[in-house]
Amino acid sequence: MALWVDKYRPRELTKLDFHKEQAENLRNLCKQSDFPHLMFYGPSGAGKKTRIMCLLREMYGAGVERLRSETMTFTTPSNRKVEVMTVSSNYHLEVNPSDAGMYDRTVVIDLIKQVAQTHQIEINGQREFKVIVISEGDELTKDAQHALRRTMEKYVATCRIIMSVNSTSRIIPAIRSRCLGIRVAAPSEAEMTAILQSTCKREGLALPVELAKRVVDKSERNLRRALLMLEAAKVAKSPFTAQQEVPDLDWQVFLRETASQIISEQTPAKLEKIRDRLYELLTQGVPPNLIFRGLVEHLVSNCDMSIKAKTLELATEYEHRMQNGAKHIFHLEAFVAQFMSIYKKFMSELLMTDDF
Amino acid sequence: MNQYPDEDEEFELQYQDELELLEDVPHEYDAYDGPSTSRQAAAKQTKAVKDASRFENSTLGSPQLSQITFGSTQIENDDGGGGAGGGPVNRRLFGTPKGPPVGRGCSTPFQRMPAIQEMDATLPTSNGFKETEAVPLLNAAAQQLQELGTRGVNKRRLERDLFGDIDDLFHETYEDPLVKKARTEEQRDNEAIQRIVELRRKKQESTKTIRKDDVSRLKALLDFQRKNLSYEIPNWPFLPIQRSDLERIYVRFHSEEYEKRQLDLISARGAVVGSLLGEAKEKVWQEANELVLRRLAPDTQPAIAAPSTAVTAETGRLWVDKYKPRKYIDLLSDEMTNRSLLYWLKMWDKVVFGKPFHSKQEQEAVTGGGGGPAGGGGGGGANTQLNSFNKRTGKFESNGGWRQRKARQALNTNVDAMGRPMQKVALLCGPPGLGKTTLAHTIARHAGYNVREINASDDRSPEAFKLALENGTQMSSVLNADKRPNCIVLDEIDGAPRQSIEYLVKFVNDDVHSKAKAKGAKSEHNVLRRPIICICNDIYDPALRPLRQIAFVVTFPPIDAARLAERLGKIAQKEQLKTNFGSLITLAEKSGNDVRSCISSMQFFNAQKQSLTLQDVLNNNLGQKDRHQSLFTVWDSIFRIQRPKKQLQTDTNGTGDEPALVTMTNMSVATRVRNVMDVVHSSGDYERLTQGVYENYLQQKMPDPNFTGVCEALNWFCFTDILQQQIGRQQNYSIYPYLPYGFVVWHLLFATLAWPKISFPTRGFEFTQKSTTQRNIFQALRKGVTPSAVGVGHGRILLLDTVPMLKRILSPQLRSVTVKLLSPKELQDLNHTIEVMLDLGVTFVQVKSLEGHYVFQPEPDLDVLIAFPGFPGLTVSYFGRQLLAREVALARIRRAAPKEGEPSAVAAASAAKKQAAKTAATSHLPNHLQTLKPKPISASNVRSSAPKQQLTKDFFGRVTHKTSTAKQIDEAKTDAIVKSPIWYRYKEGFNNAVRKDVHLHELL
Repeated sequence: MALWVDKYRPRELTKLDFHKEQAENLRNLCKQSDFPHLMFYGPSGAGKKTRIMCLLREMYGAGVERLRSETMTFTTPSNRKVEVMTVSSNYHLEVNPSDAGMYDRTVVIDLIKQVAQTHQIEINGQREFKVIVISEGDELTKDAQHALRRTMEKYVATCRIIMSVNSTSRIIPAIRSRCLGIRVAAPSEAEMTAILQSTCKREGLALPVELAKRVVDKSERNLRRALLMLEAAKVAKSPFTAQQEVPDLDWQVFLRETASQIISEQTPAKLEKIRDRLYELLTQGVPPNLIFRGLVEHLVSNCDMSIKAKTLELATEYEHRMQNGAKHIFHLEAFVAQFMSIYKKFMSELLMTDDF
Repeated sequence: MNQYPDEDEEFELQYQDELELLEDVPHEYDAYDGPSTSRQAAAKQTKAVKDASRFENSTLGSPQLSQITFGSTQIENDDGGGGAGGGPVNRRLFGTPKGPPVGRGCSTPFQRMPAIQEMDATLPTSNGFKETEAVPLLNAAAQQLQELGTRGVNKRRLERDLFGDIDDLFHETYEDPLVKKARTEEQRDNEAIQRIVELRRKKQESTKTIRKDDVSRLKALLDFQRKNLSYEIPNWPFLPIQRSDLERIYVRFHSEEYEKRQLDLISARGAVVGSLLGEAKEKVWQEANELVLRRLAPDTQPAIAAPSTAVTAETGRLWVDKYKPRKYIDLLSDEMTNRSLLYWLKMWDKVVFGKPFHSKQEQEAVTGGGGGPAGGGGGGGANTQLNSFNKRTGKFESNGGWRQRKARQALNTNVDAMGRPMQKVALLCGPPGLGKTTLAHTIARHAGYNVREINASDDRSPEAFKLALENGTQMSSVLNADKRPNCIVLDEIDGAPRQSIEYLVKFVNDDVHSKAKAKGAKSEHNVLRRPIICICNDIYDPALRPLRQIAFVVTFPPIDAARLAERLGKIAQKEQLKTNFGSLITLAEKSGNDVRSCISSMQFFNAQKQSLTLQDVLNNNLGQKDRHQSLFTVWDSIFRIQRPKKQLQTDTNGTGDEPALVTMTNMSVATRVRNVMDVVHSSGDYERLTQGVYENYLQQKMPDPNFTGVCEALNWFCFTDILQQQIGRQQNYSIYPYLPYGFVVWHLLFATLAWPKISFPTRGFEFTQKSTTQRNIFQALRKGVTPSAVGVGHGRILLLDTVPMLKRILSPQLRSVTVKLLSPKELQDLNHTIEVMLDLGVTFVQVKSLEGHYVFQPEPDLDVLIAFPGFPGLTVSYFGRQLLAREVALARIRRAAPKEGEPSAVAAASAAKKQAAKTAATSHLPNHLQTLKPKPISASNVRSSAPKQQLTKDFFGRVTHKTSTAKQIDEAKTDAIVKSPIWYRYKEGFNNAVRKDVHLHELL
C-alpha cells in the first residue's frame, strides 16, 4: 500500500473526506440488519469503490480487508476459455465481468449465480448474506444484465449485489429498479484541494496552492488521477514548486496531437496518417468512445462556432453507429473524414469571402 | 501433322470394352469382330428373343414408332416376334397387305440360320419402299446384295456406322453384314445354297414378277439405311432407341413434310407398280394413325429412351475422351513442364530398367528402348499404339532444338547411391482441366511404365493407401501379359487424409521398415524403386506440406489460349464443326483455358447446330466455371475501370433469328456496376475484401477536393461493418446480399483506368495481433497487483489512469552509486518505488534485447503498455533498473519473511514470559489482525498437557519408554517444536521424517 491512492484511502465510513452526509446515511443503512441491492454510480475517481469497501467493513468488520485474488476460468457455450479475476474475502466477492468481454453472460450465470446460491459459511457471522461487488457494471452486456436480474430477485436471501457503475444509462431499467441507487458525485475542487493538501501533509511535503489547483484542473476532478499525478510529480521533483510541471496522461496528449493534426491539414494522405494514429490508440486499449470524446473536445474547441454544432452532430451519429459495429476504426475514420470535409469547406468559404 | 488417332485407332478406342472381353485374342482389333461377336450374339440370343416377345406383348409393336420413322427396327421387332397384333398393323401401315410371317421362326438359336436368310430376303421388303411384300429375289439380286455387303466390309468404319454391332439383333428382319462376314466360307456357301432354295420356293409361291429395278432399289435401300440408322450419335436429328441389350440405335427423325413426300413418292411408285397403294393406303394410314393415338395415351414407352439421357449415356464418345492425347507429342500442356517431368521419370531408368541414364541426348534413344521389354511381353500388334512413339521419335527430335536451353528449375538432377533421383516423388499441381492427369499417364506410358492410378474415388485411408503403395511399388502384375514396371499416379492427392500423405512421405524417404523382414533373409529394408507421381490442384494445401518439401514440384502454367484454340480448331475440323479461330480463342479465354471444358462446350454446340460462332461463345454461359480469383484480382477490378472488351449485344426484341451483334462493352456505369458485382460475388470473402479496399483506397488517385467521396466511401465502410456485425451476431443472413453493394460504390468513387497500386491489407491483422499482446501484458499486470491495492482501479481505469502515472512514479532519479551512498531523499524515493513495485507485482528482469545486449525490462512490461511513439516509458537508467530489480527481490523476501520470522524469533527466546508478553501484545492488536495469526497454542498449555502424556510414541506408533532425563529433553524439544513456527506450517511437501536405516538382517 505504497501508492498514495491506497495509502491514504479512508477505510471507514466515518473517515470519508467528502459526501459525509451520504456516509452517515450509509452507516444508518448498515445498522439495520438488512439492506437492498445497491448501485453506486458516479464518475471515475469519485470514491465509489472506497465507499463500497467502507460499507463492507462497516457491515462485516475488518475481515473484509483480508482479500485474496483468484483467477477463475470459465468455459463459454462456444467452448472458449474465459479468464476472470476475482477479489474476495470471506464475506464478499468482487468481480469485474467485463473482463470476459462479450462472454460476460457466462460469468454472470456461472459465477454470480453459483455464489449467490450458496449460503454463508459462518452462521454466526454478522449477516446472513454475502455481498457480490460488480465493478464496471455498466460494461455488462445487455444479455448479462438480463441474466442478472432474475438472480438478484431469486437469491435475495443469501446475497446482495453492489454494483459500481459510471453511468446508469447503460443499465437496463429492470436492474435499476432492483437497486438502491447511490450517487457518488465527483468531489468539488475545494474538497480535492483539501484532500491533496492533507495527503501531502501526511507525507511531510508542502504543496503549493497553485500546484494543487493545477493538479486538480488537470485531473478533471478525478481524485485517483489527481493523487497519482501528484505522486508522479513528486517523483519528478521532490520539494514541490508552484511552477512544477504536472504530468499528463500520454494517451490524452496523443489524442490532442491527433486532433490538432486533423485541424492542420485535410488531405487523404493526412487522413491516412490519422488512421495510423487511431490504430495506435485502439491497439493500446484506449476505448473508442474515449477517443471520440477526446477528438471532439479538441476539435470543437479549435474550430469556428459555425461548424461546432455540425461536428457534434456528426460525432454523435458516428459514435452511435460505432456501437452497432465491430470495426471501430471505420467509424472513427469516417468521423474524421467528415470533419475534414466540413472544415475544409468552411475554410475555403472563408477564403472566398475574404477575397471579395 | 497427324496428331489425332486415325480411324482405326479411334475405332479401337470405341470398342475398347469389347476388346477387353476378348482375352484370347488380346489387342487384336483386326480380328475382333469375327468369332467374338458371334459368340456374344449366341449368348445374347435367347435373351433378345425373350425381350422381343415381351415387347410385342406390351406394346403391340409400338406402332407409334413406326409412324414417325421409316427405320427398320420397329418393324423388325414386330416381324421378328411374329407379332400377331403388331405385325399386321405394321404391314397395313406400310402398305403390305399380306406378308409371310417372316421372323416368326427365330425364337431359338437353332433356327437362326434360316431366320437370317429370311431376313436377308425380307429386309428390303419390309423397311425399304413399302410396296413390296416379301419380294422373292433372284439369285442375281441376292448376289448383288452380297456384293454390296462385302464392299461395305472393306470400308469397315462406314459399315460399322451403318449397322453397328447388331448381330445379336438377328431376330430383326434385316441382315447384318457383320454377321455375314463372321461366317466361314463354307457356311457362306451353305447359306447361299439354302438361300437360293428358299428363294426359289418363295418365287413359286409368289405370283409376282420380278421387277428389273430391284437391284437399284436395294442400293437405294442401303443408302436409306445409311442415312437413317446409326449406332453412334449421328449428325442428323434422331430418336434414340434402346435395344434390349442396352445397345442404342439412333433412328433418323424426319419432318412431316419429308414423310409426306416419301409417302407420295411411294404411292407414286405404287401407282407405277400397279395395285397395292392408292386409296387403300390412305385408309391404312388413317387406321394406323388412330391406333397410334389410342396407344399413345396410356402406354409407357419402353422402346423410347429420353433423348437427353441418350446423349449423356454415350460417354464413350465424348469428345473429351475421343481427343485425349495419347502420345507425348499430342500433349497440349507447356513443353517445359512436359519435358521436365519426362526427364525426371527418365532418371528412374537406372533403378527400374537397370539401364544407365546418360544424358539428355541419349534420353531419346532410351525412350525408344524403354518400351522394349514391355513390347516383348505383349503381343506384337497390341502395343502398336503404345509404342508408336518409336515412330514419332524422329519427328520429336527434329523439333527439339529448344531442349538445349531448357531450364529445369526445381529438378535436382543428382542421383542418390542407388541411382534414383534425389526427389523421388513428382508433384504436379495446377488448376483443373489443364491435363495434369493426362500428362502423368501419357508420360508414364511413354517412358515404358504401367500406370497404376489411385485417385479420390479409391479408398485412401492410411491402411488402404499403404497397401496400394506397397503393391504398386513392390509387385507387378502376374496375370497381365504386359510386364512393364508400375508407375504409381496418385491423383487428386490434396484430398487424401493427412496420415496417408505422411505415410507416403515416410515411404518415399525409405523410412518404412517392413516388419516381415526380421528374418534376415533380406536385411536391407524396402526401398522405393518405382517412380511416384502425385497430382493435386492446390499445392498449398496444409496436408501436402511435408510432401511439398521432398517432392519435385511441377507447377502447371496455364495453357496458352492460342495453342488451345489451335487444337480446338483441329477437333472442330475433324468433327466438321463450323467455326472460326476467333471464336475458339474466345471460348478458350472464357473457360480460363480449361481444355476439358472447351471440348465439352464444342461438343455441345456440335450436337446443337453444328456450328460455333463468336455469338454462341459469348451468348452462352458455357464453360464458365467459378474460377478461384485471387483477392488481388478482385481488388484490381474494384479500383480499375475495365477496358472495353467483346460483348454480345443482347437484342431486346428477343427474336433469336436475327444475328446478334458483337459489340464492345461500353464503359457505362451499368456495365461497371455489373462487372464489379460479378467479381465480388464470385470471390465472396467480403470481410477480407472490405479490409483490402479500406487499406488501399486512400492511395488511389482521386480528384476529391472536398472529401465528399472519401466521406461517402467511409459511410459505406461503416454500413458494411454494421451489416457484418449484425450478421455475425444474429446470424441474420437475410441482409447478406447488401454487402457487395459497398464495393460498387467504392469502385465508382475510386476506380481509374490506370493500373492501381494495391498492397495486401496487413494493418487489420497487425492491429488485432498487437491488441492481443497488449491485452495479455495488461492481464499479467492485473494479476500481479496485490488485492489490497484497490486504489489503482480496475480494468480500464488501471490501464488509462494508473499505468501512465505509474511509469513516472516508478522512474525515480537515482545516481549510479550503491545504495549506501544514496542521499536520504534518494533512499526514500527508492524505498517508495520498491514498495509500489511490490504492491503492483512489477519487477525488472534482465533480457537480451534484439541487438544482443542485455537490458532490464519491466515485467509485466510497462514500457509497452499505453505507450505511444514519442512518449518515454520508464525513464530509469540501466543501473537504476538493475538496482531496483535487486532491491525488489530482496524486499520481496523480506516481506515474506516476517510472517514466519516473527514467531520463530519469539520461540527462539525462552518460553513463558515472552509468550505472555506476546499474548499481551496480541491483545492490543485489533481483531482483524488477530485472526491473521496462527492459532495461539500456548506453551503452557502444551507443557501442562505434556506430563499427562506418559506414553510417548515414536513415528510408527510404537510405544516408547523413556527415561526421565530423556523425557526432560523431549519436553524441551516439544517446547521448542511447539513454539517453532515450523511445527505449525509443516504440512505439505517432501517429508524426510520416515528416513531410517534398516538393515537387511532386521527384515529377515
